[in-house]
Amino acid sequence: MPAFLDRVRDLPRLGLGVSTEYGARRQDGALDPAALRTQHPGYADFLEVGVEIVKGLDEDALAWAARGWPTTYHFLDVNLDEPADLDAAWLAAVRATIERLRPAWLCGDAGLWHFGARDRGQMLLLPPVLVPEAVAPMAAGIVALREATGLEVLPENPPGSLFVGELHLLDFFARLADAADTGLLVDCAHLAMFQRARGLPPLAAFDAFPWERVVELHIAGGKAAEVDGLPWIDDDHGPEVLADTWAIAEAAIERATNLRAVIVECERNPIATVAPIFARAQGLLPPALRGAAEARA
Amino acid sequence: MSAAAIDTIQVQRALVCMLYDPAYAARVRGEGPLAELGERERALLRAVDPRALRTDAMRRARAVQAILEEYPVSAALLGVPAVDRFFSSPAFRAAVFERGSMALSFGTEFLKERALGVGALEAAIARARRPDRPRPPGLGCAANVAALVVPAGTLEWYQQARARLGADPLRALAALRRPWTQRPPKRGREHLLVEAKEGGEVSIGGASEALVDLLRAADPPRPRAEVVAAAIALGAEADEADELVADLLGDGLLAES
Repeated sequence: MPAFLDRVRDLPRLGLGVSTEYGARRQDGALDPAALRTQHPGYADFLEVGVEIVKGLDEDALAWAARGWPTTYHFLDVNLDEPADLDAAWLAAVRATIERLRPAWLCGDAGLWHFGARDRGQMLLLPPVLVPEAVAPMAAGIVALREATGLEVLPENPPGSLFVGELHLLDFFARLADAADTGLLVDCAHLAMFQRARGLPPLAAFDAFPWERVVELHIAGGKAAEVDGLPWIDDDHGPEVLADTWAIAEAAIERATNLRAVIVECERNPIATVAPIFARAQGLLPPALRGAAEARA
Repeated sequence: MSAAAIDTIQVQRALVCMLYDPAYAARVRGEGPLAELGERERALLRAVDPRALRTDAMRRARAVQAILEEYPVSAALLGVPAVDRFFSSPAFRAAVFERGSMALSFGTEFLKERALGVGALEAAIARARRPDRPRPPGLGCAANVAALVVPAGTLEWYQQARARLGADPLRALAALRRPWTQRPPKRGREHLLVEAKEGGEVSIGGASEALVDLLRAADPPRPRAEVVAAAIALGAEADEADELVADLLGDGLLAES
C-alpha cells in the first residue's frame, strides 16, 4: 500500500459540511441538513453521519445518501484499541452501512466509546490514555478497520474534562498517525478543551504536529462550566464557538496542506441560529475547498 | 531493569469505575491494595483531579435508569437505592473489567436470589434480549431464548406487578417511597420459556418440565452428543432423541454456536 501522503491525493475535496447522528432532528427546531444545503449553498457540501450500528441510519441520513450527495462515516461505537470490538458481526454491519452511505472515508474519536461489551447503557466517550503504550494498540485498530473496509480511517482527538497521561494530545495523535500511517481529523473544539484543561495556550504544541496528515477539521460550540471551582468546557455543539476554537481552526487551516473537509457540528440547533458559524467557517476555507461541491459537479 | 509497560486498557477501565463510583475513586487514590492496577497505572489515576470526575452529574443516574428499565419489578422489590448500590459493587466492576454487560451482571452477580423468581425472570429477559453475547461453540439453547424454573405463580405475579407499575414504570419507581412489601411466590415450581423476537418484543410462557430441563442442560452450549444424551436422561426414547434435538433446532429453540 502506498504511504498515506501518497494516498491522500486520491481523497476528494469535500468542502464545508454538517454533521448528524441518529435521531438528531427529533429535538424541536433542530437543523435539517437537506434544508441547510438548499437554503445556504456551500454550507452543507457533505454530510458527516454519526453511526452507532445498533441504531442504524435515520431518515435524514438515508434521504441524503439516496440523493447521491457526499458523506463521511463517523463511528460512534468502536474502541479502536480493543481487537474484540472489531468482531465479524460489527464489521459486517459497518460494511453494509458503507454500501448505503458511500462515504469518502471513515472517521471518529479515537477513545473509549463504551465500557464492558458494546451494550445498552454502556456508551460514553473518554479520551485515550496519553502515554506511549497506548499508541500501538490503537494504531493496530485503525489499520485493521482500514483493511476491513477499504476506506481511510481518520482518528479524531476526543473531548474530555480530564486527560490521563503526560503526553500532549497533539503529540499522542502525531505518534498515532505515524504508527498507523494514517490521516487525521482534528476537532478544534476538543483541542481547545484539552489546552484549557492543561492550562496551555490554544496553539500549544502546534509546531511539531504533522499538519500535512490532517484531512478534516471540526468546529463546534462549547460552553464554559465549573465544578467545585474546576473550570471545564462542555462540548455541547451549541451556537457559541469559543474564541480558542476559532483561533485553533484558523491556525490549523493555514497549516493543513492536505485538508479536504471542514465540519460544523451543531446538530440540534436551528439553521438561523448557527448560520453565522457556517459563514465564518466558510470564510476560513482555502480556495481549493470553497464551492467544492460545485467544482465536483 | 526497565519498568513494566503501562496497561492502558486497565487504566481506562479503572477510570470508568472511578467515574461511576466515588468510593472506588477514593480506593484508587488510597494506599490499600488493588489487584487490578499496578503502581504505574495507579499513579496515572491518582494524578486525576477528583473534581474532574464529577463534571457529568447525571452519569450514574442514567446508568441506574438503564437497569431500572430492564429490572422494573425487581427494583420495586429492592428499592431504587439498592439498585444504585450496584454501581459501587464488585459485580459492576467485573462487567467493566471483563468486557461484560452491566445488565447481565446486575441480574446474575448482584441481584441473585434477592427478588426470588421475579429477579430470575427479569434476568432471563435481559439474557434473551442479548443474543449477541459471547457463547462457547456447540449446540445450545438458542441465544434469544431463556429457559428457567421459578416458584409456582411467578409469571402471574410478575404480570400483575408490571400492571401495577403502569405504562411508565420509571415514573412509578421514581415515586416509590419504600420497597414493596408484597413478596413474589416462594414455593412450588413453574417452568417458563422467554423468547426475544427480532423487533425487540419478548414473549414469556409456560413450558413442559422436560423441555425446560433440556434447554437448561444445553446452556451453555455443548457438543451435540451431550445434548442428545441429556435428552435421553430426561426421558426421551434413545432412538428418538436425535430426532427430538433436530426438531428443537428446526423450531429455533436450540441453535449451533
